[in-house]
Amino acid sequence: MTGDSSQQKVYSVSEITRSIKRTLEGRSEFNNLWVRGEIFNLTMHSSGHIYFSLRDDDAVISAVFFRHANRSLDFKLKEGMNVLALGSITVYEKRGGYQINVSLLRQEGIGDLQRRIELLKQKLMKEGMFDPGRKRPIPFFPQRLGVATSPTGAAVRDIIKVALRRYPNIEIVIAPAIVQGDEAPVSIARAIEELNRPEYRIDCIITGRGGGSFEDLMPFNEEIVVRAFYNSRVPIISAVGHQVDHPLCDDAADLAAPTPSAAAELAVPVKKDLAGEVDYLMIRTNNAVSSLIRGLSVRIEGVLGRRIFRDPFEIVNRKEQMLADTVNQMLSGVKGRVSYNKNRFLLIPDIRMIIRNLINIKKHSFVMVLKAMEQLSPMAVLQRGYAVPLDEIDAVIRSVGDTEVGRLIRLLIQDGTLRCIVNSIHPGGDRGKKKDA
Amino acid sequence: MERKKTPKSGTEKPGKIDFEKAIKELEEIAIKLEEGELSLDESIRQFEKGMQLAKSCREKLDEVERKIEILQKGEGGRVSGKQVDVNGDSGEIANDDDLQGSLL
Repeated sequence: MTGDSSQQKVYSVSEITRSIKRTLEGRSEFNNLWVRGEIFNLTMHSSGHIYFSLRDDDAVISAVFFRHANRSLDFKLKEGMNVLALGSITVYEKRGGYQINVSLLRQEGIGDLQRRIELLKQKLMKEGMFDPGRKRPIPFFPQRLGVATSPTGAAVRDIIKVALRRYPNIEIVIAPAIVQGDEAPVSIARAIEELNRPEYRIDCIITGRGGGSFEDLMPFNEEIVVRAFYNSRVPIISAVGHQVDHPLCDDAADLAAPTPSAAAELAVPVKKDLAGEVDYLMIRTNNAVSSLIRGLSVRIEGVLGRRIFRDPFEIVNRKEQMLADTVNQMLSGVKGRVSYNKNRFLLIPDIRMIIRNLINIKKHSFVMVLKAMEQLSPMAVLQRGYAVPLDEIDAVIRSVGDTEVGRLIRLLIQDGTLRCIVNSIHPGGDRGKKKDA
Repeated sequence: MERKKTPKSGTEKPGKIDFEKAIKELEEIAIKLEEGELSLDESIRQFEKGMQLAKSCREKLDEVERKIEILQKGEGGRVSGKQVDVNGDSGEIANDDDLQGSLL
């Protein structure tokens, strides 16, 4: 060892560390590189940062996974887990060490799973399982909702809560399924099949689970589950909580929701809205008929307002009185002059005839107007509390002769119909008739 | 693999109405009456039909009764439904013990 420090440059610790830092961090291949290794010395710091080391058989490297970066982590880190880390090499001067500053962490083996899913996807696509054209509409108004999921998870509670809030008297049938682990695929498929049995009278099925890691959601990428969705006779909604990649079952479902709650909202209508819609249409129908009736009433009142209709017989009587007067005058005028004015007297019957005819014509037109009114009036009078009687073939009963005692008739009133039996018939007036329901 | 079939509407019980169809028909009646081009007789008929549809729709909305069932596998592998109580407004399942198992 020569140790002649006067001949060589002497660095301070900081200087040499800075130089190392510049060298390491400046190398492009140390930026955004993937490192494969096994996790050990895992520390989840209360600050939210995660510290660990990666190792293989021969070496170790420290790693830091800062809070802002590890938010995207979609699986639980465990000691001994094999991972792929994307990050850059940095030097931490204070400890004189280098480390990998991780920006993304993946579970080793996920790549294989993803390749498997992709292959399955291609295969099932060729079978036409994902054709958009085969997706059926979700029933407008399901009365019995089937739910295939874990009976103890948050998903089932969310679905029940949302469904009952929207439709307080809905019926829900839960088919419990294991949604995680090796048994999950068969269990989920079995639950879907069960809900498809006709005796449950299910209108719509929701199948899924809350969010989880890629591995947690893996059962919903399994062929048996995708096929169960595809084979569901009952329209089915996929409800697997996910943020990035949607599970394969979404493609085979009739509708895919991003969460179980969202699925319940898509499946269940708001009862109040439906009731409001019915009321609104009822009011529109009522108003349309009312305005039609008002229009007709105005027309009828206009016609009835004329003098001849206010007291038709007064006019007839007056004409007859006039006729009688005329005839009397004529008779008294010709009295004593019968022989000499015989020809004129013989004209009198003709005058009588003319006036009679005139009156008949007036009477006839009056009857015509009454008939027209008869056709116009039933709905008008309904509004004032009257009823239209209809027989078995919905023809209006216009006369006591149109029906018989014991016949079933219907009374149409303004807001509905009454079914009645004719108890007795009293011709000649509208007061004596009595109907018993 | 056979393409799955849509459930036939004919399997519905007689007297059961399809709510969606009924409300569509009611809407068509309202529009026809609003246009005011029907004869009085026809208007009465349509009005009567509309009121019947509205009544059926309202009845349909109240027809179901809140019921939460969980399917359970019993003896001999037979599956039966067991009713689960749900807390009034919160929609929370009253008793967690009611929820167990799977159909496997």
